[in-house]
Amino acid sequence: MRDTMPSLPDTNTLFQHAACGLLLCTADGTIVQANATFCGWLGYGARELLGKKKLQDLLTIGGRMFHQTHWLPLMQVQGSVSEILLDMRQRQGQSIPMLFNAVRRVHEGVRYDEVAVFVASDRRKYEQQLQLARKEAGELNEQLAAADRRKDEFLATLAHELRNPLAPMRNVLEVLRLVQLDDPQLRWARDVLGRQIGHMTHLVDDLTEVSRITRGRLELRRASVELAPVVDAALHSVAELAAQSGHKVHVEQWPQPIWLDADATRLAQMISNLLTNAVKYTPANGVIWLDVACTQHEVRISVRDSGIGIAPEHLDKVFDLISQLEPALSRAQGGLGIGLSLVRGLAELHGGSISAHSAGVGQGSTFELRLPLSAVPLQAPAPVERRLLTGTREGSVLVIDDSADAAESLALALDILGYEVRTAYDGEAGIAAAQTFMPQVILLDIGLPHMNGYEVARLLRSEPCGKDAILVAVTGWGQDKDRQMASDAGFDLHLTKPVDFYELDAALQKMLQAR
Amino acid sequence: MRIEDRNNVRVSECSAGPQAGAATTMVFMHGFGCDQTMWRYLEPLFRPCYRTVLFDLVGSGGSDLSAYDVDSYARLDAHGADLRQVIHAVGGGPVICVSHSVSAMSALLATIAEPGLFSAQVMLAPSPCYIDDAATGYRGGFSRADIDDLLDAMDSNYLGWSASMAPAIMGASGQPALGEDLANSFCRTDPVIARHFAQATFLSDHRATLPRNSTPALIVQCSDDFIAPLPVGDYLREMLPHSRLHVVENMGHCPHMSAPDASYRAIRHFLDGLHL
Repeated sequence: MRDTMPSLPDTNTLFQHAACGLLLCTADGTIVQANATFCGWLGYGARELLGKKKLQDLLTIGGRMFHQTHWLPLMQVQGSVSEILLDMRQRQGQSIPMLFNAVRRVHEGVRYDEVAVFVASDRRKYEQQLQLARKEAGELNEQLAAADRRKDEFLATLAHELRNPLAPMRNVLEVLRLVQLDDPQLRWARDVLGRQIGHMTHLVDDLTEVSRITRGRLELRRASVELAPVVDAALHSVAELAAQSGHKVHVEQWPQPIWLDADATRLAQMISNLLTNAVKYTPANGVIWLDVACTQHEVRISVRDSGIGIAPEHLDKVFDLISQLEPALSRAQGGLGIGLSLVRGLAELHGGSISAHSAGVGQGSTFELRLPLSAVPLQAPAPVERRLLTGTREGSVLVIDDSADAAESLALALDILGYEVRTAYDGEAGIAAAQTFMPQVILLDIGLPHMNGYEVARLLRSEPCGKDAILVAVTGWGQDKDRQMASDAGFDLHLTKPVDFYELDAALQKMLQAR
Repeated sequence: MRIEDRNNVRVSECSAGPQAGAATTMVFMHGFGCDQTMWRYLEPLFRPCYRTVLFDLVGSGGSDLSAYDVDSYARLDAHGADLRQVIHAVGGGPVICVSHSVSAMSALLATIAEPGLFSAQVMLAPSPCYIDDAATGYRGGFSRADIDDLLDAMDSNYLGWSASMAPAIMGASGQPALGEDLANSFCRTDPVIARHFAQATFLSDHRATLPRNSTPALIVQCSDDFIAPLPVGDYLREMLPHSRLHVVENMGHCPHMSAPDASYRAIRHFLDGLHL
């Protein structure tokens, strides 16, 4: 049988017509052997190459630079290179992408580089496509980053715009607090207004932090908080909604006062979110239970309902942002599914946890919020004296704000306290007023027409009337860089709208007494 | 981050002899396309008499890649400032600085900014400007199109040669043991950074900086260097004050790798003349 086998090609034939170009080069790159495949690809006769051309002579200029700076050091240190893609020049001058593998070997005491070459036109095209896609992805990334920056700017602007109307509202509230109200209904109305404005101020503050929230940088304003009033307030906030649906709400508070080291606003937010969730997902005339229980280390606030329940496979998804659970129903109830996700985030920030339990669809649900108790027993904070005596203050104050409501309401509150107050609605009028009135304190809005507050501050600082005055920036812009800009412009103090009236009064008293 | 970590700094104390302890420090600054491993043939020759310091340029080798700020490192000044920080971190100067290729210009910028840190500088295969300048008749050896061709070559080696160089391998392991590990780490770099560095290197023009030099300089030029051809060495010798030119018989751009002994002798002679 062996006799009938066709003979195998000899190794020289295999070398000459291998499916890749094969070269043997001396240390300086001179080609001493080249197979027919290689010569054919480049359009050279072997005689034109052997002993006459160096490998690098056949590369483009860029390829030669790469050869010098990358290939040669690699060959020297590791004795081989692989998968290097460089263009080679054909005899006719056209370039052709080629893939190189090379290994350095010693033959009879002489060092040679053995090189295998493959035509890589298709691979080159493919890689060019990949590079293009990569470039496009990079551009898209930049666009996304720009959109993200615009979103942050928008949120900052929005918070600023929302703060503006809050300022006069809060001033009016202070006026209402300073006057004697005999009618209990008016007093109640004033208290509701106070709570809601306080709540809204918190929300607006939160809005400025939204970009931080998305990056996990929400900061809690922790303080000693008594739980029961917070629970009551949360119940109050959903009472109307629950009543509309005919739900009964059973509440079991813990008999002793529980003090938590928590952010009161966020604590209320968590509990009311759980209650709102229960109200929403319980069909009319249902029952909702709220229980507070306490162990040595933690407090458990559970909200149970007789509602639609949760299928077991959905239990672990209910806290995901915008969960897809029963989307149609969610939308009918007007929710986006953010509520429970927010509760989880806030609970974790407090060092606690939230869990969901349900026996199944139609079986009602229980959400249990666990928050750690402080190792050190917390005391009720000393009640702050928030009551100011009318007519006891001395000092002259100029209020400059382009919102007449904001300026006049702040002026009225200051006036009731006893300060001598003037107002102006733009920078020019403000400077004129300062020149005649010579105030000790100037409260200056930043977002003024024509000339902004920074410019007004600089001008005031250069005038005798403003050189020594206490300059207070009152602005909706509450970020660090805004504080820095105010300080650079010569302001002594930077307050964020709406101004905390007690804080303002205390700061003014301190600075006036220091003069 | 510590400078020592950022630049993957390696210090070898003077190995023996009466010089130990009070030995002069030599700092080696690698050039484009590689890392401190390039010094493996030359640097050990100086250890008997000098305290030697190796480091990687930010963006190369075992440096902290996250420190590579594209805007700053678009100029060689940033690498020059890093060199000064490295010298301060290893105990201050004056040191002898040995730099290769483009880093010779980064080092020159550092010697001009803080001359007190340097007693001498050795420039291996330097070039102040790689692109020909028809207006002044300067011959750098390349056209702008050539440089674009190089950038293309680097682009097309992203995916084959350098894309396999995952940052994970390059990261923190420091100088690899010479041998098999070397094959896995030598000259590995982030392809995006490598390309950016290529651009910063080959489009740089520091001819106007040369006259401001005050530190004694040895220019070691290769006899057959495609990247920094002989006329560039002559130009440097003429324009760089306090400089001497020595041509090493060598093909290629890396005399410290392919002609370490000849390079050593040239540097030795230069330092002897300065009593360093």
